Amino acid sequence: MERKTFPGTLDSLAGIREVVKEEAQRAGLSKKAAYNLMLALDEIATNIIVHGYEETGTEGVVDVLVDHSDSQLTVILEDDAAPFDPLQRELPNEEFFARPLEERPIGGMGIHLTINAVDEFKYEFTNNRNRNIFIVKTSDA
Amino acid sequence: MSFQIVAEAKKIAKITLVGEVDSLSAREFQKEIEKLAAESPDELILFVENLSFISSAGLRVLIFAKQKMGTGLAIYIVKPQESVLETLEKTGLLHSVNVVDQYL
Repeated sequence: MERKTFPGTLDSLAGIREVVKEEAQRAGLSKKAAYNLMLALDEIATNIIVHGYEETGTEGVVDVLVDHSDSQLTVILEDDAAPFDPLQRELPNEEFFARPLEERPIGGMGIHLTINAVDEFKYEFTNNRNRNIFIVKTSDA
Repeated sequence: MSFQIVAEAKKIAKITLVGEVDSLSAREFQKEIEKLAAESPDELILFVENLSFISSAGLRVLIFAKQKMGTGLAIYIVKPQESVLETLEKTGLLHSVNVVDQYL
């Protein structure tokens, strides 16, 4: 798996998108699937950078691993921030989305987008690192 | 009785977004909204024809705008690209904004 390391700051987001976008194109992902993957990445990478590093006053990296095999594109974000499972957060329900904008809590929307944007989203904590795993099926069976 | 007339023009705030709004650029977007909020506009017009990407951080700025500028604020989104429109739809934001082809 190809690994690229980015500083854990928000200005790395564009570069992270670029790396994954290139691989998505090589894997033949549709424009829509690629766009959704970018949405998911932005959300999770932002969580890592803002909540994992910025707010705790720590510095660290975000590693991006991409692999295209067995008809699926796998993207993994790895970081050294405190263990954080984004799936542990309460997911917004239908009532949330039906509420008018002015009454909505600001959070909660991103993780919903993330989960719905990819075929599979997983979180694990391995070797003292957070691993956020995004899997998108490709049509090259 | 002498003739009286009271007229008041709508206050309109306009923002053009070009390129990609991720969590980094969303912060700038939010700062602009904060500046404009001081003027208490009645309408917020977002020209997004050349906006190719907006993440949830960008969408949260729209929610922020509505909360900051008051519930009476009308938001117009002018010419969104298909993928942007889809994200608005998926997040349920579509029914709180007006999507239009042009704003005159």
